[in-house]
Amino acid sequence: MKKRSAAVAVFAAAALVLSGCSAAQTESGEHTITFMGWGSDTEIAVFNDMIAQYEDKYPDVKVDYITVPAADFQTKLQTMIASNKTPDVFYLAPENVMPFASSGIIADLSDYVDNNDLFDPANVWQKAIDMYRYDGTTPGKGAVYGLPKDIGPFALAYNKDLFDAAGVTAPDPESPWTWDEFVAAAKKLTNGTGDDKVYGSAPYSLESAVWSNGGDWLNADHTKVTVTDPKFTEALQWVADLSLKEGVVPTSEEESSLPSFQRFMDGKVAMMGVGPWNQGGFWADAKFNWDLMPWPVSPATGERAVWYGGIGFGVANSSKDKEDASNLAAFLAFNEDAQRTNMEQGQAVPNLIDMAKNEYLTSDKAPANKEEFIRIIEDYGRRATQTYTYNSEWFGLFNSNLASVWTGEQTAEEYAASVQDEMQQMLDDGIAEQTK
Amino acid sequence: MTTMTTRRTQSMRRRERFWGLLFVTPIGLQVVLFCIVPIGIAVVAGFTNWNVIKGTYDFIGLDNFFEFLTDKYFWTAAGNTVFMLIPIPFYLFFGILFAIGSHRGTPGNQVFRILFFLPYISSVVALVVMWKWLFNYQYGLVNQLLAGIGIQGPDWLGDPAWIKTTIVIMIIWKMIGITSIYVLAALKNIPEVYYEAARLDGASPIRMFFQITLPMLSPAIFFLTIVGIIGSLQTFVEVQLFTSDGGRNYSAATITYYIWQKAFVSNELGLAFATAIFFALVILGVTLIQFRMSRRWVYEGE
Repeated sequence: MKKRSAAVAVFAAAALVLSGCSAAQTESGEHTITFMGWGSDTEIAVFNDMIAQYEDKYPDVKVDYITVPAADFQTKLQTMIASNKTPDVFYLAPENVMPFASSGIIADLSDYVDNNDLFDPANVWQKAIDMYRYDGTTPGKGAVYGLPKDIGPFALAYNKDLFDAAGVTAPDPESPWTWDEFVAAAKKLTNGTGDDKVYGSAPYSLESAVWSNGGDWLNADHTKVTVTDPKFTEALQWVADLSLKEGVVPTSEEESSLPSFQRFMDGKVAMMGVGPWNQGGFWADAKFNWDLMPWPVSPATGERAVWYGGIGFGVANSSKDKEDASNLAAFLAFNEDAQRTNMEQGQAVPNLIDMAKNEYLTSDKAPANKEEFIRIIEDYGRRATQTYTYNSEWFGLFNSNLASVWTGEQTAEEYAASVQDEMQQMLDDGIAEQTK
Repeated sequence: MTTMTTRRTQSMRRRERFWGLLFVTPIGLQVVLFCIVPIGIAVVAGFTNWNVIKGTYDFIGLDNFFEFLTDKYFWTAAGNTVFMLIPIPFYLFFGILFAIGSHRGTPGNQVFRILFFLPYISSVVALVVMWKWLFNYQYGLVNQLLAGIGIQGPDWLGDPAWIKTTIVIMIIWKMIGITSIYVLAALKNIPEVYYEAARLDGASPIRMFFQITLPMLSPAIFFLTIVGIIGSLQTFVEVQLFTSDGGRNYSAATITYYIWQKAFVSNELGLAFATAIFFALVILGVTLIQFRMSRRWVYEGE
């Protein structure tokens, strides 16, 4: 009897101590929000710095910064969502906006965007914010569910030294090459054999080719797979033939042995698609002059096209401190110091339009034609088609055996015909999931 | 006096039982928390449409089982999983060979033992990175050696016809060490008298190997086969690291990879659990059959 009451007393005391702790915490108003992301060591260091600044500005808030390797991020996030421990702020991929928003995982930030002290939405690239919009049926429209960490336009870079040596002049930024002109130039640039082989171009951006040719993976409202459309297969075949027929691009075996990025850095590939995130590496390691040129255009449309990507910050709907979490997201997305650091390290084009136009464009670092990045953001860049659908399994299927076109085992038409029906099935399943 | 003794033994027994329970509690808790509870959750969830992102959790009966059993990718994965059994006879053969070779004070046998054992204790991730370079199509050591004797090596990692073979070769290489260590331990346990008796009877070394060594090794070989088959059926890390999406046309994906993909790429946890339960039952069945068959060939002492 005595023993039991002693035990009860111990429990009661423990309970008191525990509740006392939490009571004390709420009184002082201090609380912790969690932020989860990935990144290179430099990026993590920049973020740690930004978080310290944020904590100075909002002394009541402590930020618990969790970094996960990029490959494990999605798994980890999903586990945390499942156990109701969704981080208050986390990296949000554009393709996750639709599933996450429709099941109420991420918070609607529209009001916050319009009424906040940290940034002026008019000074942020329209397309960067649009990547995180969703109106309940169509992505890219309606309420805002995320703030952009960065926007990544994919531009065509070239090695000026190789161009000069081959007597090739890059096109004027205002008048892009046609595909034929591109192939002719690439042929001039391709020479040598064995380990000295120089290729005219890295594997060409399939998005750029398909869109410029007037095709797409899906129809306009993203309900029908259109890869058997001749506009699509023609572009796919053209990209494959750059290696198979023209021999100006590494074969797919060579590409898997030594990726074109490495070949470009070694001066063994003359043209390659790059993003702003590559600039830092080029500044540090490229032993040649380089610049950007506009993407070549298909004779079918004469229009340039390419994709832009990006990652954003989402705020958990379950967050107890949405205001603080939104502030953190906005701080990380738009803080001038952070944006400038990223720009100076050659990681990104600033999210802030005035900084991009006044500081980025006027800096004297390569590339000279930085305007091309901006033009892609403002003008001819497009979101990847698979970010418009509920899931991208149809796109995964399209890619799963695409190599058989690159190796010439199948023609573009044969391949498209072989995957069309199953892709449609998967797309239909996704649409059914979305509306369920 | 007698009542006193019985009471004392009784209380002693009680105290012993208390301490006994106390000592097994940690391991007991571990089994309950990390084995029984998760298995229970998996079994229940296998009959639901649990989807973390959508937040659904409704019982849908056997639908999950029909779904994966009619999914052609599941069967592709099943075929690939069976393919992963190929390494077992190879590493058993080489493991036994190496064990016998290093058994009787061969010069440098310690060095060899360490060398053979290294792959097993090395991180699979590091090994795969190394192998990716060895089997690189253009610059890999393997293809350069083949080129030296006039053979153009295949695209080991990119070609769907070769990727599984590459994984099989790597598993063989990795498992030889641990196999030979087990076999070596079993060899040391064979009493020398058997060989002395056989020698007196004029038995040849080959005959001694087949009549004494091999039967005496059979329990170890049996154990290695069971563990090997389970391990092969669960091949996952190699697939995930060698290929980013299960290989061209799903050519390297195993069932474990399929389960992982359903759970963490498609978010269909219910379906993944159902597949996992089914697969666990298959492994259990295979193991039971092996035990049944073992009576015919495993020597269990007199």
